[in-house]
Amino acid sequence: MATTTAAVTLTSDLLSDNMSVSASTTCVKAGTTADGLTQMEYGYVEVATGDEYDLIATTPTASKASKLYVKNHSTDETYYIAITQNTQAIGRLYGGDWMFIPADFHDAAADIAITSNGGTNKIEYALFHEGTVLVTT
Amino acid sequence: MATTATISIASDIVPGFGGINESMTLTQAGTLTDIDSTTGFARRKLSATGAVDLVTMANELVEPKDSVAAKIYIRNIGYKGVIDKSVGVTIGVNAEPIGLLYGGDWMMMPLTCIDADDITANPATDDTVVIEYVMFFEEA
Repeated sequence: MATTTAAVTLTSDLLSDNMSVSASTTCVKAGTTADGLTQMEYGYVEVATGDEYDLIATTPTASKASKLYVKNHSTDETYYIAITQNTQAIGRLYGGDWMFIPADFHDAAADIAITSNGGTNKIEYALFHEGTVLVTT
Repeated sequence: MATTATISIASDIVPGFGGINESMTLTQAGTLTDIDSTTGFARRKLSATGAVDLVTMANELVEPKDSVAAKIYIRNIGYKGVIDKSVGVTIGVNAEPIGLLYGGDWMMMPLTCIDADDITANPATDDTVVIEYVMFFEEA
């Protein structure tokens, strides 16, 4: 059985008492307690400014468990990608920023899309999931 | 002052996948200046289905700047030390479901902080669950 774990350490000195949070989770299939995710898609793309593109080319089946990691590897801090899901703006990842979210792709329109700004952004992404609707040729 | 976040992902789904280990310093949009504001760490106990706001953007005591480099960390920590991996809470933005955080799961997501883009949590069941979260943002 495959095992995928994701850990985070978050520190901040914005508050009077410094904050330090650590968490780790094992990514499992929907509705299970220990059955790990079994499939993944891992890529790196350079995205020129202009149009909005779907970052994930195929759509995992809705109501299953997916985890999506995206990092903007651009070294220019003024570059960013705007991220949307199903036309809803989520936020921006500037050069050096990353995100990690659950993504249940609840319908066919709920793809994760990105728009590059400032210049050509270099994007790493990894989708861990339990099933994909494959497109027949 | 600095706020940093480090992620480590390990997986044996594909042989040869070396894992992901990345850090970021949360900065203000388009600069190398550290991000300057936070909601502080908070917990919210939920005991019924139905979406509730974790963050209501228009009600923040310090107005967040729109469409810049805000981030939010959210984790489903279960209840009283019991973490049920099979039950989740749907996290949403402005009524758009982003995904389910199952017991123990965490997420780090950028935000627009636009007034309409509230962050919501909607438990899948009536079982009690606690969500912890902290938002980092730029003051408007």
